[in-house]
Amino acid sequence: MSVNRLQNYINGEWVDSKTDEFVKIINPARGELLCESPMSTKAELDAAVQASQEAFPDWRNTPAVARARYLHRLIEVMEENFNELSIVQTREHGKTIDESRGETRRGIEMVEVASGIPTTMQGFNLEDIAHGIDEYAIYQPLGVFSCIAPFNFPFMVPLWFLPFAIACGNTFVVKPSPRTPMSQTKLFEMLDDVGLPPGVVNMVHGGAEIANGFMEHPDMKGVTFVGSTPVAKHIYRKCGETGKRVIAQAGAKNFIVIMPDAEIDKAMVSLIASFFGNAGQRCLAGANLLVVGDDKTYRSVVDKFRDAAAAITVGDGLDESVQMGPVQNAESKQRILKMMEKGIAEGAKLTLDGRNLNLVGDLPGDCFLNPSVFENVTPEMSLAQDEIFGPVASVMRAGDLDEAIDIVHSVPFGNSAAIFTNNGKWARQFQHDVVAGNIGVNVGIVAPMAFFPFGGMKDSFFGILHGQGQDVVRFFTECKVVISRWF
Amino acid sequence: MKLNTMAAVMSFVSRIENESASFYEGCAAKFPELKDAFLSWSKENRKFEKNVKRTYFGVITDTLESNYAFEGLDTDDYGFETDVPETASGAVSKSREVEDKIKAFYLKAAGLSDGLMADVPRLFKKIAGKREDRRLPE
Repeated sequence: MSVNRLQNYINGEWVDSKTDEFVKIINPARGELLCESPMSTKAELDAAVQASQEAFPDWRNTPAVARARYLHRLIEVMEENFNELSIVQTREHGKTIDESRGETRRGIEMVEVASGIPTTMQGFNLEDIAHGIDEYAIYQPLGVFSCIAPFNFPFMVPLWFLPFAIACGNTFVVKPSPRTPMSQTKLFEMLDDVGLPPGVVNMVHGGAEIANGFMEHPDMKGVTFVGSTPVAKHIYRKCGETGKRVIAQAGAKNFIVIMPDAEIDKAMVSLIASFFGNAGQRCLAGANLLVVGDDKTYRSVVDKFRDAAAAITVGDGLDESVQMGPVQNAESKQRILKMMEKGIAEGAKLTLDGRNLNLVGDLPGDCFLNPSVFENVTPEMSLAQDEIFGPVASVMRAGDLDEAIDIVHSVPFGNSAAIFTNNGKWARQFQHDVVAGNIGVNVGIVAPMAFFPFGGMKDSFFGILHGQGQDVVRFFTECKVVISRWF
Repeated sequence: MKLNTMAAVMSFVSRIENESASFYEGCAAKFPELKDAFLSWSKENRKFEKNVKRTYFGVITDTLESNYAFEGLDTDDYGFETDVPETASGAVSKSREVEDKIKAFYLKAAGLSDGLMADVPRLFKKIAGKREDRRLPE
């Protein structure tokens, strides 16, 4: 039986890659081969950038309202294909069907917000800065931009950038994750369907060679990236050298602080969703559960948390009885297992051992882990410091909020942090003092909506302007000031 | 079967609304004196299913918490037979049983998911409330 090979989308055409290197895309839940994805060549990247560059002059002169109408059509096509899009995400990534539907919805919301570009791209002006002289600021597109996409939200993350970029009048090249390239392929089928002019959007499958090509190409104006911190640092440095704009959203180790007055029963679903949703493969996932209070408070919170984690059903995400899918591939599982072993060696106590698989259905266990909970974790341990990106919770303790905030600050990351409390003063102090880009108050997954910027600080973000919202409109435009006088 | 995810709850809503709609269509065909009432219920049930799905797909989010909220919801507690009874009074009596089961399901599901995806439990409660009015004289 022949295996489907994904194609690149360049200059409005689906084209076979000339590479002889292909990556097998495996359904992590069932172990079945889904397709093969090309590790495209530098020449194919060059063709995509050239197509984008050539499309730019006409596209930037297309009125903003007309550009927005393409996005309106894209929204319609996405809604029509909502469930199919979601199933593709579950099959290639492993997340549950509800999680995939949520990702699809969030992706559509990005396009909805981007379609407001006739308003959000407006400049400003002031009459009579001097007698008979006016001054105004206008925002203009720059040219070709690109996205290096992560595996964990294969459909949604490129939509943090692509619709905003093209709405602003830029052109765009996406490199999907080589681990989960099918969702973007589906998206590009839809972009093809809405009839965008050739070259406005392009997709080149591949790995590091394509990513580095984005950073080095003289016609590329900027690079957007979501992924690990080491790669984000490399991209930030490289784009600095080559003079490109960059948004590099990086790794995380997010704390959830439970104060003694927290309404723990109400909070529990929020905590469980945060730590184990998407099998923990989310840059906004809870990773460190930090309980403030006495022994009784601690025991009450942690016992409930551990019991709820133990009750999570694990299996194929297309099975509607399943609450957590596999991690995305076997290498991820092995990496997580090593980190767990290191945690045990450092003295943490594994009170819920997700290595003991309990799956719904007869499935290969290569990519599965059940939820794990470590207790007796201290701030210096690797379990507290390092990003695990899997269904593993590290439980820690603090005597009061000040100590808790010190512990939150002991990790190098600053993506998100949340506090659960009924005390407004504590909540206010947490929001004010904690160095993290997204703060939650009684919210476990602090995911900003499409019309707000996606924050990030410390080693979780490299750049100035963030993805989403008005920030990303500024990222994709250049401000020009005009001062005019008519004689 | 336990209903422990939002997707499973949505599938069950489709099942009970469509099965009950078909049941009422069968009753309407067999008992002309009850045709108008049963056909209006059938039509409304299919509309309920559509509205619930539209609401769910409209508000679902990748930060979903509801997947862990449905504890103690089981299809066994809310299933019903859909064979059309032999008599009109039997059909009326059966319709009450069907309506009560569906209403109880919506109220329980709404209670478990209240505050998570607020639009969905709100609609569940509204649909349960509309079923209050469905009483035919025996």
